Amino acid sequence: MDFQGIYDRLRAVDAPGLTGCDLPRDADPEDKKDKGRAGDAFVLVDPAQWTQFLRVCRDDERLGFEQLVDLTATDPGKDDENFWVNAQLLSLRHKHRLAVKALLPKGAATIASATAVYRAAQWHERECGEMFGITFAGHPDPRNILLPDDWAGYPLRKDYEFPKEYHGISCE
Amino acid sequence: MSDQTKEHTPTITVADQRVASQKGEREFMMDVRTQDLEVNMGPQHPATHGVMRILIRADGELVTGAQPHLGYLHRCAEKIGENVEWLQYLPYTDRYDYLAAMNNNLGYSLAVEALLGIEIPRRATMLRTICAELNRIASHLVAFGTYGLDLGAFTPFLYCFREREWLLMLFEKICGARLTYSYLRIGGVFNDAPPGWLEEVAYFCDVFEEKWAEYRDLLMLNHIFIKRTADIGVITPAQALDFGLTGPMVRGSGIDWDLRRDMPYMIYGEICDANVFDVPLGTGEQGQLGDCWDRVYVRVQEMMESIKIVRWCLENIEDGPTIAELPKVLRVPPGEAYVGIENPRGELGHYVVSDGGKVAVRCRVRGPSFCNLPILEDIMPHTFLADSVAIIGSTDVVIGETDR
Repeated sequence: MDFQGIYDRLRAVDAPGLTGCDLPRDADPEDKKDKGRAGDAFVLVDPAQWTQFLRVCRDDERLGFEQLVDLTATDPGKDDENFWVNAQLLSLRHKHRLAVKALLPKGAATIASATAVYRAAQWHERECGEMFGITFAGHPDPRNILLPDDWAGYPLRKDYEFPKEYHGISCE
Repeated sequence: MSDQTKEHTPTITVADQRVASQKGEREFMMDVRTQDLEVNMGPQHPATHGVMRILIRADGELVTGAQPHLGYLHRCAEKIGENVEWLQYLPYTDRYDYLAAMNNNLGYSLAVEALLGIEIPRRATMLRTICAELNRIASHLVAFGTYGLDLGAFTPFLYCFREREWLLMLFEKICGARLTYSYLRIGGVFNDAPPGWLEEVAYFCDVFEEKWAEYRDLLMLNHIFIKRTADIGVITPAQALDFGLTGPMVRGSGIDWDLRRDMPYMIYGEICDANVFDVPLGTGEQGQLGDCWDRVYVRVQEMMESIKIVRWCLENIEDGPTIAELPKVLRVPPGEAYVGIENPRGELGHYVVSDGGKVAVRCRVRGPSFCNLPILEDIMPHTFLADSVAIIGSTDVVIGETDR
């Protein structure tokens, strides 16, 4: 299925938490400042129903997303008040992909862990946790994965300040 | 050690023994004192192919738990991606999977091109395909050779590296580097192939085809090798899907999935229409489906499939420009794109976000090694300690990519 087909199917099965979709578009020729949007289409999901949504994607026969290929987060900018949580789903049966995005307020960056639905999420969530400071509620093992256990701050946030030193080692 | 001995309370009491001995079992257990022992395998263990540590809990010879610890080679690749310009990031992509740098260049270039929406010249696409497939062979040669080395077969490793050396020489001729190429650029390739290069690649294909059968017989069909790998580290198809395994790991479990064929990118759609290559799958030929032998044999067969693709490209390559016209300072239209390509180790995904500026907002790398590794926590328990090397080696992990 193409993106429109997947989106229609999600609407038809009334997928929990589905709030809309975002499609690439060309620039508006009348508006000089508008540059359009390039790239892939994605669906937007309410973070409160994140795991329920993923479960429907996995279990529905016509969607059939057996694999969670990637799960990551994005900090779109210092002034933006949300993080994005991005998931890439893949169906091997139907040979289609779906990009899913949830907007997560920076003030309350907690979302349910998807490990119960896809075990592939386990390490990706650990990485997002240490890099962005997002809490994945119900994660079985929320330790740091790439960074040392005592690392201060969340490096992939846009407002991250590089440390001056680490255990007496100068970083400048 | 003496403290541990004092604290130790036997799990089988005299009363238990009396009950057991009537049934004629476990009599010997009375004076055998075992307790779980935690062993760090790595970070400097040759079989981890880099700096990775696996914390193994062992009850005697039996592994009861395994936990990979990463991060020794973390170089902040994604953070760097948010701080350098689009074109400047390309050399950093070489450094995550340093055994398949051409494929990494390709993945990043395709992701940025998906946002740019530019047309790539046909000759450039052909050269890209040739280089990516040759690099796949080089990468699988290392995987296959060092796997034999892990299990004590030294000879195939030397032969594999001899062939790989030839490939690296070919890469050196076309781009000047042996390991970190940065040859596939956004918009095409860096330069055209030097005169005689394509003919030499054709000659390599002919020679390699002959040698390949020898390697297969030398290692894959070796009786000791089969005994060490068959029925070991079995990954069921359900596990493979649940853990998001890709590439030879998922094909070794018998799942028919290859991005080059099933979601074609670049020129692969045309190659599939011409029915050039097959997708090798694990069959459980020597043991159970999805064991170490199956995974390694998938890689070995893939080398031959890559040769077929390279030959097809050599037949169909035409003259023409090798790079699209792009400005010196690249501004990428706002938007976001995810592009996954078939790396030698699985799906290499790049998720790039642009706000229309010179620098990326997000430059996410989904490394296949990183995603293929958590399966160890599941398949290593209840195996023997001696098999742990066989299992780790069969995942074909490159630490540069898990840690990025």
